[in-house]
Amino acid sequence: MKQYNKFVPEGVRDILLDECRARREAQRRFSEIFTRRGYQEVMTPGLEFYDLFTLPGAALRQREMYKSTDCAGRLLVFRPDSTLPIARMAAARLQGHRLPLRLFYSQTVYRSWPELSGKSHESPQMGVELLGASGIRADLEVICTAVECLRAITQDFHLELGHAGLFQLLVSRLEISPEQQEEIRATIEAKNYGALGELLDPLGDRPEAEAIRRLPRLFGGEEVLAQAESWGLKGEGVQPLDYLRELYGALKQLGLGHRLMVDLGLVQRNDYYTGIVFGGYVGGSGSQVLTGGRYDRLCGKFGQPMPAVGFGMDMGSVAGLLEDQLPPVGGADVLVHGEKGQEITAQREMMRLTAMGLRCESSVWESQAEAEAYAKEAGISQIIVVGETLKTIDLGGKDHEAVENCPH
Amino acid sequence: MRPLRIALTKGRLESSTVKLMERAGMDCTALHDKGRRLILPVGDSLEAVLAKAGDVITYLEHGVCDLGVVGKDVIMERGGSFFEILDLGFGRCRFALAAPEGTDFYRGYQGKTIATKYPHVARRFFQGKDMDVRVIKIEGSVELAPLLGLADGIVDLVETGATLRENGLAIVEPVAEVSARLIVNAPSLKLRKGEIEKLAARWETCLKPAQ
Repeated sequence: MKQYNKFVPEGVRDILLDECRARREAQRRFSEIFTRRGYQEVMTPGLEFYDLFTLPGAALRQREMYKSTDCAGRLLVFRPDSTLPIARMAAARLQGHRLPLRLFYSQTVYRSWPELSGKSHESPQMGVELLGASGIRADLEVICTAVECLRAITQDFHLELGHAGLFQLLVSRLEISPEQQEEIRATIEAKNYGALGELLDPLGDRPEAEAIRRLPRLFGGEEVLAQAESWGLKGEGVQPLDYLRELYGALKQLGLGHRLMVDLGLVQRNDYYTGIVFGGYVGGSGSQVLTGGRYDRLCGKFGQPMPAVGFGMDMGSVAGLLEDQLPPVGGADVLVHGEKGQEITAQREMMRLTAMGLRCESSVWESQAEAEAYAKEAGISQIIVVGETLKTIDLGGKDHEAVENCPH
Repeated sequence: MRPLRIALTKGRLESSTVKLMERAGMDCTALHDKGRRLILPVGDSLEAVLAKAGDVITYLEHGVCDLGVVGKDVIMERGGSFFEILDLGFGRCRFALAAPEGTDFYRGYQGKTIATKYPHVARRFFQGKDMDVRVIKIEGSVELAPLLGLADGIVDLVETGATLRENGLAIVEPVAEVSARLIVNAPSLKLRKGEIEKLAARWETCLKPAQ
């Protein structure tokens, strides 16, 4: 029989020592940013009903969700996303709460990717949701929070802005079937210029079709907005562009000009987005570690219509960046060795020293010689021997705060 | 910043790509004389690696290569998330549904069985027709399956149709046109837009017009 007791399933892994420390450090930094900006933490269940994630526009594929059943045979999924559960929770459990709600989360999501693709099936995520507020103040607040998070990890980041409303508006004017709309959306998302042309050619030379044809190429800096504005769109069509221009200007004034990118072809599958959409890239090669946007219609699906905006971050990638920056963990400051019969006094000494803020290990060795050998190997430069009196042995190496030699 | 890195599909697409790069005035000496190197410089601003078609997409999706040249057949079968920015026009062939000559594939109410090396392409084609078919994956010569009575038809890549005719099969319906594509890793395109668009534009002007 095959034994799997030494292995973990595909797509999940153990998080060891340095990586674990980096992840916790990143989580600590972000929690502090969120808390200082008035966000409160929430947790949603690890298991939810399948139905929650099959709402129109939820964009989660059936095969990507880990499923189980409850004792009544109802279909459950392991939390594949945090925004939908939080919208459900806010609508169902926080009715009548003062608005806006400022919520943050730090929890794991599960997705089942195709076999052997090398993707993680278990991803730690952190993010915020600002519910019950619309307009540029709310959008700026959430984007600035995202920027603070990126800055807490690296100075080498880019923030990308787009607007879900532009494509939705243009495509709605074309009077084509939802299936055709989806086909067009997918080719824009893939920046498949050729295929997009073939889809649009039969629609003639209407201005909307021309605008859509150009969407996937419209990414880059501020000049992109000018190009789109030159189409001379009228009516509602200019609103998303005007809004992006305003937001871009505001972020530029915050000194983010050289960090900003615009992509008018950001048309994610997540069509719960209704307004601004944004993403964060870090590092020279650039992996996307942050995605977010405005989703004004989602809470309405749970019976409590309210505007909302938020973002989520992939903490696995973030921790990976941080891991290289953190100094290595050295040996403890002190090894406390209790002589025979002094074990309890030695633990008292441990409490005294740790309360002073020192990092101490207690010796598990019978003899002082063994304790010394261990300290050398573990890079601990000082031993305190607890006998009738306290004796400090300096093993040299690094400098330490003097520990007082006092009788107890 | 490191040079842009491109993954080329080994074999025929590789030689066509090298010719295209040479027409575009790029120095492909290292690609002709590989030696034992696995990462080959193309001028100063590009380096190439050679890979099997599916691996081109894998390297690209994981961000270790910025660009790739791969057949649309592989893209259709394997899927993935990347940008497909240029149809290179070479490596041209088509996916087609073929069945034994003289039979009417669509006749009858019996569920059909399809043998193919491209199960996703086949399944999607029939889903588009609201037809429920049984798809069987075959690794080697798919033409054999209908001859042996395993399948009613095949979905396969067809170039001239000669192989089909030799085995008594005929095309029932074309499924999709295939050719080589230039694909790009999404963050690379965003963060190195200038370089990548320049390269794509230079290639585009050197493409041979479609036959």
